[in-house]
Amino acid sequence: MAYKIGYVDPSFNTPEELMMAANLIPYRIFGDPTIDLMDADKFVPPNHCFWARNCLQRGLNGLDKDIKGIIITHACDCSNREYDIWFYHVPYDFYYFLNAPLKRDKISLKFFINDLKELKFQLEEHFGAEITDKKLYEAINLTNEIRKLLKKISEYRNKGLLLGSEFHAIVKNAYKSDKKDVLHNLKEKLKKLEIKEPLPYVDGSKKRILLTGSILDDTEILIYLESLGFEIVTDDLCIGTRYFHNLIEITGDPIKDIANFHLSKPPYSTEHPSSGRFDFIKTLAEKYQVQGVICLVQKFCEPLLYEYPFFRDSFKKIGMPFIFLEKEYKRDSYKQLSTKLEAFKEILRGVKK
Amino acid sequence: MGRHYLAIEQAYRDGTPTAWATSGTSVEMLYTFDVQPILPENAATISAAQKVSKKYIESAEDLGFSYDLCSYFKTNVGAMQNNAPIDLGGIKPPTFMVAADVICDTHVKWFQVQSQRYKVPLYIIDVPHVTSNTTNKQKEYYQSYVEEQMLELMDWISEITKKEYNEEKSREVITNSYELSEYWIKIFELRKTIPCPVSTKDTFGGLFPLFTMPGLKEPIRVFKKMYQETKERVDNGIGALENEQFRLLFEGIPFWYNLKFFGVLEQWGAIIVFEPYTYSFGKFLDPTMTKDYIINNPIKAMSKIMLSFWYIYDLETRVKEFKRVIKEWKIDGVILHNNLSCRPNSCGMYDLKQRLMEEEGIPSLVIEADMNDPRKMNEEQLKNKLESFMEILQKNKKR
Repeated sequence: MAYKIGYVDPSFNTPEELMMAANLIPYRIFGDPTIDLMDADKFVPPNHCFWARNCLQRGLNGLDKDIKGIIITHACDCSNREYDIWFYHVPYDFYYFLNAPLKRDKISLKFFINDLKELKFQLEEHFGAEITDKKLYEAINLTNEIRKLLKKISEYRNKGLLLGSEFHAIVKNAYKSDKKDVLHNLKEKLKKLEIKEPLPYVDGSKKRILLTGSILDDTEILIYLESLGFEIVTDDLCIGTRYFHNLIEITGDPIKDIANFHLSKPPYSTEHPSSGRFDFIKTLAEKYQVQGVICLVQKFCEPLLYEYPFFRDSFKKIGMPFIFLEKEYKRDSYKQLSTKLEAFKEILRGVKK
Repeated sequence: MGRHYLAIEQAYRDGTPTAWATSGTSVEMLYTFDVQPILPENAATISAAQKVSKKYIESAEDLGFSYDLCSYFKTNVGAMQNNAPIDLGGIKPPTFMVAADVICDTHVKWFQVQSQRYKVPLYIIDVPHVTSNTTNKQKEYYQSYVEEQMLELMDWISEITKKEYNEEKSREVITNSYELSEYWIKIFELRKTIPCPVSTKDTFGGLFPLFTMPGLKEPIRVFKKMYQETKERVDNGIGALENEQFRLLFEGIPFWYNLKFFGVLEQWGAIIVFEPYTYSFGKFLDPTMTKDYIINNPIKAMSKIMLSFWYIYDLETRVKEFKRVIKEWKIDGVILHNNLSCRPNSCGMYDLKQRLMEEEGIPSLVIEADMNDPRKMNEEQLKNKLESFMEILQKNKKR
């Protein structure tokens, strides 16, 4: 049975293909908004990112026994500093802090390649696996296939055949399961979708929205939005479009190709420059003709809190209804958002589909 | 420091280049190009000392910036929004900005916001984060990465200022910075003496030239004088506190709006004799950075400083260095400021406290407040906490 490597990544810059080429299953660690943070709060002050503390709590509670090592990838201050807390309190023999660069230029690319090579070296040393170019390209071909399928499947949200929450669960599963199983399941899903009859809008009251924000890994929050009458037809999330928007271009140097892929993805709030994130959202919003944009942010998520006034003003300029909501990473707190969301739905009432 | 602000005003009058820089960024590179550095963090502390930071922070919050964001950032945004005068921490948009994630990623977001608002060009230096298990091999390519960016930054500044890089000037600047730091570290060495000759009032107040004026000659003269005076006090057995009973270490940025609060310690005969925060601006703490090395490798040295800044030490090094300081500075107790505005610094604090208590038997206390936002400091609660802590120290000392 293949072992897993767990990784914590507030964005998406972790090279799954490197782990796959070492015969390991990349397993993205998600939070669990139903658990108590008693232990995590002993190590990290309570005004630090709710989601990151929750992931730490999951580590402290004990992860899946097949997980044999941890990678934490740089994105923001919580990933940088909480790495050491994991390192000392969640015992694993293999730990790697991946310094995913802030910038996306040539110098950063060179650095990222060096850091990926070091990760490759340490994986080989620790797990006794030889990561060859051939194995890397096999892994790349597999994840590229998965991304192509996800892209196709994602379009069914726009056709009224797939709920945004269902799609979120599919992407989430792709992040944490054996990629061969993922490929098989996605093919099956696509077959079913291809023959599925469109669901007619009963009363046309559903509001088409684009979902953005910081890391949103609890599918229940999407289900909750849908229960309020929102239809999530697109997103720019890590557990969503950012995972499959681009493919890894094959040039003959697999590590470089992986690094290039990550630095070419749509811009994100944890990077520099980050203003392109708005442009990307705008493009998606226009393409999918959404009526509004909902930005859901984890409590204390600094990168997004800094962007809020810029987002608010930029959406206002283009006349796109926009709501920014900070939320706690606790499932029983979601309902607190209802008043603001209901009011937003009212605003969207007059916006054409 | 008055000289620094006069130089800033002069630069705006003359129309010569100015640059905002985050602390931890290589201000030495700016002086190399005769660019006048301005550190918004320093300006924010002035707002706090003048008791106007709350007003500016609330003004930034009115613009939509969250209650939970860095109070330095919000003070800067609010001060600019209100056209604050220079003596209240007001600064103007510069010719360009340079930020680095040496200390925090927040610095990058801060300057992204302000460069966007004021349409000023921005260069970001991405500094990799050293963790408890970073290997020497990794540190080597981290160093190359920062160096390459420094070379790019040189070209970038050169293009903006229409000025060529001058190696001689660079050596002069880094040597001045080194000498300034040398005096600072020598003052800290003298603080090992019982009674401690210099209190935290002097170090928190005296620290600023290290990050606003490293590269100039004038502050060296001031620091030399400060060193000589400290030496004299040591030679004459004069302490900053008349009856020194307890020697403390204070971790974190102080509450700039209420520095006098530290005076409360005097009633128990307690004095802060070491602050990692102020010590970290001694910069050249990596033992490989000898004077010869920095003169011959100015750009490498500027890069190395950014990778070896105490304030952002990984947890293992942080614990090791705290233990060393406790021994060498004869520390009786440690106060750790869980600064609500500085998450990178407060992360790891609980571990630090636990390990110092368990492994060194040193009483340690975590207090919660904010460096620039007076709304987040509960003075009475802090006093009560300190009172209980001092009782523990007293019991500990009797043993």
